[in-house]
Amino acid sequence: MIKFLIKIIFFYYREYKLNLSGFQDILTNIIFFFVSIFIFIFSIGPDKDTISVVGVGILWTLLLLSSTLSLRKFYQDDFENGNLVIMHLNGFSFGFIAILKTLSNFLFVQIPFLLSIPIACILLNIANDKIIYLITSFGISSFILSCLGSISSSMNLMNQRNFLLGSLIVMVFSIPIIIFSVGIINMEESFNSLINILFGILLIVFAINPWASGLCLKLSLENK
Amino acid sequence: MIIVKDLSVERLDKKIFENINLSLTSGNITILRGKNGSGKSTLLKTILHIIEPSFGTIYWKGKLLKKNLYDFYDNVTYIADKTSSLTKLTVKDNINIWSRIFFSNINNSQLETALKTLKLENYLNKKVGTLSLGETKKLEFLRLIIENKKVWILDEPLSNLDEDSVQLIKQTFEDHCSQGGSIIFSSHQNPGIYVTEEVQL
Repeated sequence: MIKFLIKIIFFYYREYKLNLSGFQDILTNIIFFFVSIFIFIFSIGPDKDTISVVGVGILWTLLLLSSTLSLRKFYQDDFENGNLVIMHLNGFSFGFIAILKTLSNFLFVQIPFLLSIPIACILLNIANDKIIYLITSFGISSFILSCLGSISSSMNLMNQRNFLLGSLIVMVFSIPIIIFSVGIINMEESFNSLINILFGILLIVFAINPWASGLCLKLSLENK
Repeated sequence: MIIVKDLSVERLDKKIFENINLSLTSGNITILRGKNGSGKSTLLKTILHIIEPSFGTIYWKGKLLKKNLYDFYDNVTYIADKTSSLTKLTVKDNINIWSRIFFSNINNSQLETALKTLKLENYLNKKVGTLSLGETKKLEFLRLIIENKKVWILDEPLSNLDEDSVQLIKQTFEDHCSQGGSIIFSSHQNPGIYVTEEVQL
């Protein structure tokens, strides 16, 4: 058991090293996010109240689009260079690899967005008291996005010709997440019930993810 | 240790290979020979249970491989035809990651000797992506020493290597078998290595 835990720790050490060496990819995602915010601000105009009203919607749309940018690399590199097989031979089932990679995506891709939300809120004139709601809802929703990303990326390994299909799946399934997440900010009195719904969605997607992604990984390696 | 019985693999109703039989015991070397596209890599992946066979069975230590899979994985090192080294990281980083993930009991002096033998000692701080194909291949072989497992399954291990490196690999194979290890490898050319069994695909 301890040996297995140490293996997991060094799996994350490997992910950390890889993400550190590809830090420019993470930075590009964040820059895309902020540049897109500026474009929205310039296109809406200087009216603070309008920006404030549509700000949360803009923020969520851009968070979603920015996080789908990195989906292509979710499994692709490890699939191409055979590291998925090596991880499997090292005692990790495909389903467990999916869980580990999902957590890795959350830590190294979604957390930087989470940290940049306060700055984005200032740019979009979102009230300070709403920032905490936004961060809480994004904390849960971004993990849901990581799970959906894992499923769509593993499906994409079997369909190398059409990457957009995977992004499309994530975007379609993220519609309820956006509805509830934006609802949390606009209906503060229903915070608890909406956060519970989001948490429920997270549990469902988290349960499906290892099964669906693991199967797709296995099938894609079989047909490689 | 490994017995493969009447193994066949089909894909989209096309037979990749059929009725393959082989047995691998301690100290043996089995070679899979065949032209490009004859199914050598597929057979190796089937033995590793990455690909499900259409027919036939594989046994590991007398039990069905499926039911004894993780014990098999504890005893096997697989080196694919493509590099599994992380090209964005340095040679040193790759070695560090492998040593830790595989709980290697190799010490620093053994590692230094292996690096010198493979002539990789000057590339430790270089990114793997900047190495030549042959150097990357030799780095892959370092994983055999780091993992230190009984069964080696190697896909085209001699491709992209110069004559000196091929000789070194032959010597490494002999040393491994003399210590009770066993090897299955594929090659589309005659490698000039003494093998105990040849499977033609």
